[in-house]
Amino acid sequence: MKTVLVAGLTAITLAQSTARGDLARGAALWDERLSKSAIAALESAARDPATAAAAHEALGRLYAFKGWQQEGVFPGWHDEPAVRERAIAELKASLAADPNRASAQDALRMVESFAAAEAVDPAPPRPEVRALDATLQSSATTASSAADVVAAVEARAKAQADPSPYFTGAQILIDRGDYDRAIALAECGAAASDRFIDENLSAYQLPGKSQGAYARGRGAAADLVGWALFQKKDYAGAAAKLEEAERLAQSGDLTIEFHLGELARARNDPASARDHFLTALSAAGGPAPLRQRITQALASVSGHAAGSDFDAWLDAELTRRREERRTAALASLVDRPLPRLPLTTVDGRPFDTAPLRGKILLLNFFASW
Amino acid sequence: MPHLKTAYAKYQHDPRVAFVLVSIDEDGKRLQRYLNEMRFPFPVARMTPADAQRVMRIDNTPTTFYVGADGIVRYQVVGTEPHGDSPARVGWYLDQISR
Repeated sequence: MKTVLVAGLTAITLAQSTARGDLARGAALWDERLSKSAIAALESAARDPATAAAAHEALGRLYAFKGWQQEGVFPGWHDEPAVRERAIAELKASLAADPNRASAQDALRMVESFAAAEAVDPAPPRPEVRALDATLQSSATTASSAADVVAAVEARAKAQADPSPYFTGAQILIDRGDYDRAIALAECGAAASDRFIDENLSAYQLPGKSQGAYARGRGAAADLVGWALFQKKDYAGAAAKLEEAERLAQSGDLTIEFHLGELARARNDPASARDHFLTALSAAGGPAPLRQRITQALASVSGHAAGSDFDAWLDAELTRRREERRTAALASLVDRPLPRLPLTTVDGRPFDTAPLRGKILLLNFFASW
Repeated sequence: MPHLKTAYAKYQHDPRVAFVLVSIDEDGKRLQRYLNEMRFPFPVARMTPADAQRVMRIDNTPTTFYVGADGIVRYQVVGTEPHGDSPARVGWYLDQISR
């Protein structure tokens, strides 16, 4: 009897010391930010009543961090919304094991207010902005004057500073044949786009991303100005702007390539027109009516009879281009760090690249043959 | 390549910008003749065609890389551009990066 009692006590003491060990190990592993191992140790500690309250609280805090706070803490770390409910459940379990545990009460209050913040409606777009967008859109069809369109753009831009109303307005004015006003609006749009990105720069932390955001805004403006100049039959001016838009977009943009194709067609350069139309169609997306229009324009310069002959040719060309784009995208170094360059001087000694570090670099590879 | 000399005139006193030519010529004598003739005002280096293909994934010359001060490649322009090699285009790429 006595022996059994002693054995039982030993077993309990052993279990408790294992649980305390797990708890301490779990905390230490989490300090090292080894979350999977930490969770395993803490879950083991949570099964023992003696350490349950502390282990559940530690798990709750860990999941709270993972669920709401780990975005960008280390490269590649993102919040994991899926574990947010877990955080609340673990902290409640901690309090179930020990209702008077003050630190767990604090943690639960904090986590519940995180969860409450998620329920706040995201601000934009405000109903006012939606209404002003609708007014602007409807000015395309109603018998309003060009001045009304510009007024609708300005009212919308005043309500929210993003550049989209300028671009929408410029397109509406192009469709109405009011090219000079369209150009002025597009240029305002480019400036508004830069300003909007500058104001909200924290949302574009990566240099490559902010560069891309600036380029997209300026590219949209350059395309509209170029398209307006094309309509005015200023082909040289249109070419300069549309080519700038193409460089800013960096890859075949459906609308820009369509505009370049139409320009080439107007300049009696069917080969170039064909090329641009095909690049446009090999880009994904775009509204169906626009794709239809591009296909028709392409048919007129394809040199293939409409019908199955043209369809088969188009299908083969698009497949080939998609494959080329895929290969080029895989091979391109754009948006990647410049690799270490195995350079020598012209007379064969090592070429020191240290003075080039931190500089904007033009690196031209050539051959003299 | 003469367009790069013209484009360089605008940047030669700008300490933030560097131009480097990289020849993938295998014939050193021929390259030296070309350089004597061209007298480039910026450094010229060499890389083997195999390295250029492996490291920079270059399939065609000329290929121009425009690299930001942070070491990230921003533009990769392959071949001579349409409508001639205008120095203005070179400046355009550099200005986009330096903004």
